[in-house]
Amino acid sequence: MGLDYQLVLWNKFKKTYDKIIVLAMLLYVILFAAITLTFNSETSIETLIIRAFGSLAIIMLHIILIIGPLSRLNSSFLPILYNRRHLGVSMFIAALIHGGFSIFQFHALGDVNPIYSIFTSNMDYGSLTNFPFQVLGFFALLILFVLASTSHDFFLSNLSAKIWKRLHMMVYIAYALIIAHVFLGAFQQETSTFTIGLLITGFIIVSGLHLVSAYKEHKVDKTSTNGTENWLKVCDISEIEEDRAKIFTIQNERVAIFKYDGKLSAIHNVCKHQGGPLGEGKIIDGCITCPWHGYQYLPHNGQSPPPFTEKVSTYQLKLENKTVFINPKAFDEGTEVEPCKY
Amino acid sequence: MKKNDEFYVPYIDGSLGVKTKQTLKRFTIIALLTIILGALLFSYTQKPFKNSTFELTNSTKITGVFHENPYPMLRVEVAKNIYKNILLLGFGKSSANPFLEKLQNQVKDLNGKLLSIEGNLIYYNGKTLIQITDEEKITLENQAISSIPVNESINNMTLQGEIIDPKCYFGVMKPGKGKIHRSCAVRCISGGIPPVLVTTDSNNLSQYFLLTDLKGGPINNDILPYIGKPSKVKGYVEKMEDWHIIKIDVSDILELNKKSNIY
Ligand code: HEM
Ligand code: FES
Repeated sequence: MGLDYQLVLWNKFKKTYDKIIVLAMLLYVILFAAITLTFNSETSIETLIIRAFGSLAIIMLHIILIIGPLSRLNSSFLPILYNRRHLGVSMFIAALIHGGFSIFQFHALGDVNPIYSIFTSNMDYGSLTNFPFQVLGFFALLILFVLASTSHDFFLSNLSAKIWKRLHMMVYIAYALIIAHVFLGAFQQETSTFTIGLLITGFIIVSGLHLVSAYKEHKVDKTSTNGTENWLKVCDISEIEEDRAKIFTIQNERVAIFKYDGKLSAIHNVCKHQGGPLGEGKIIDGCITCPWHGYQYLPHNGQSPPPFTEKVSTYQLKLENKTVFINPKAFDEGTEVEPCKY
Repeated sequence: MKKNDEFYVPYIDGSLGVKTKQTLKRFTIIALLTIILGALLFSYTQKPFKNSTFELTNSTKITGVFHENPYPMLRVEVAKNIYKNILLLGFGKSSANPFLEKLQNQVKDLNGKLLSIEGNLIYYNGKTLIQITDEEKITLENQAISSIPVNESINNMTLQGEIIDPKCYFGVMKPGKGKIHRSCAVRCISGGIPPVLVTTDSNNLSQYFLLTDLKGGPINNDILPYIGKPSKVKGYVEKMEDWHIIKIDVSDILELNKKSNIY
């Protein structure tokens, strides 16, 4: 991987991506303001800002949430996943403008600390229709802040991919809080079938896509392996495409078995970068290349080629009459294993 | 997974295949259409705002007779023998009292004194309020005592409406009522802004009642749980020129589980 070369092209793609995000956000705010000022010109500028950025943030959140399952269902969507972080940070900025203006507008210049006021100005915690909905938005904003601030590569390399992923699963908690924030808040007073319908449709799309892609993954996990003792039978060699892999779940771990140059190698399926599915990757220049951001690993030892230092576990394979068997015991990360020739 | 032989690697030039590009384009277009649809729906479906006004960047000087019964007001003669009582408010979510303190200490009792106040006007539906931002902008015009309004008794009444903070309701915020605004109204009234009951009858005519306790003293903290909700308020109603006053026992307020019909 030529490091400099990589950065240049990567940046070109990122720039287009970021430009689209910024233009779309501007388009939203300008349209929102133009329509409001045309049809409802008595608005106040603060309300305009609060509403434009709050509704923009929730729409962006939906887009962010469907990218994951879409790219699991169709790898053509993967390039969007690469840079989802920027979309996430932009959404946080929109949410922060909304939340910040709301905190200032509704809680500042009063007799108590504005943050304390969010929690105590409305004490109807026992009621649904009167529930202090701003508290829900506040917690959601906190979660989004944690996610946005840990989205930098610094945290990725300092938190393990697993912890990072778990942390970022909190986006679903934020989504739930925000839905409750809007349905128990704005929608109690600004009730419109259209906006309620929009968010319900959004919820159905988001949860539907997650269910479908989870079902697909579930099928991978059920791909059966059988055998006795040390060797598990996995599949016929013809089931694996050249320079590609098939993923199997072996003792609760996903393993990718690659076929290339008349050889077979097996490595742990999880990329060290952000946990991308290596088995959906491809052999390029003799390296297993992660489908998410292109990290590479040598198939015979699970190590990234120098100067990189990532390592994943490897597994031993054997072939009997075109049938592939695997030894379920993983070797330490980066262990050299003689590929199985056919 | 849908079969896709193309394999995009960000740092490999030309690896972005035709099919992948097309998917990306389609996704971008659908996302943009969603953004446009969202902007249309969220902006167009907002309920109409009222023409209530807050002159944030414009100060106006008004001159009138100060009285505090129990909330500080300035009685301004708007035409011959026609008076309007302008409610005095502090900066932000606060009472006017701290701004008046210095002058009050000088003259002992400000009631009946002619004052000029420069501040930001707030007005809607015939009512006017003024925000004071600086105690230096209050000047004593005349030491002589002028007459102040005397409350006319009306009757015991039970009214349906919503308790609001008049600063936001009459202009500073939109909407300045209801659930969305409740937290802010609580802060305002807790900060010393007088609570007001708004009623709206079937002809869409609104009346405004300053809320006081049974003895006619100010209420602030006790009323916080009842703000911004449709409710039934029972009390003794008096008229003070262009305002009403209702003297209540806070525990008599009954929350109504229904939609708000004021503005
Ligand atoms: C400190 C955090 C937050 C506060 C104090 C807050 C406050 C508010 C308030 C007062 C409203 C009603 C505004 C109106 O209709 O006039 C509102 C509505 C809304 N909020 Fe939040 N919010 C916060 C966080 C969030 C976050 C993180 C999101 C989403 C990413 C969000 C999304 C929305 C949406 C979609 C609406 C309805 C549309 C609108 O009126 O803006 N809010 N919020
Ligand atoms: S997850 Fe980023 S390259 Fe594999």
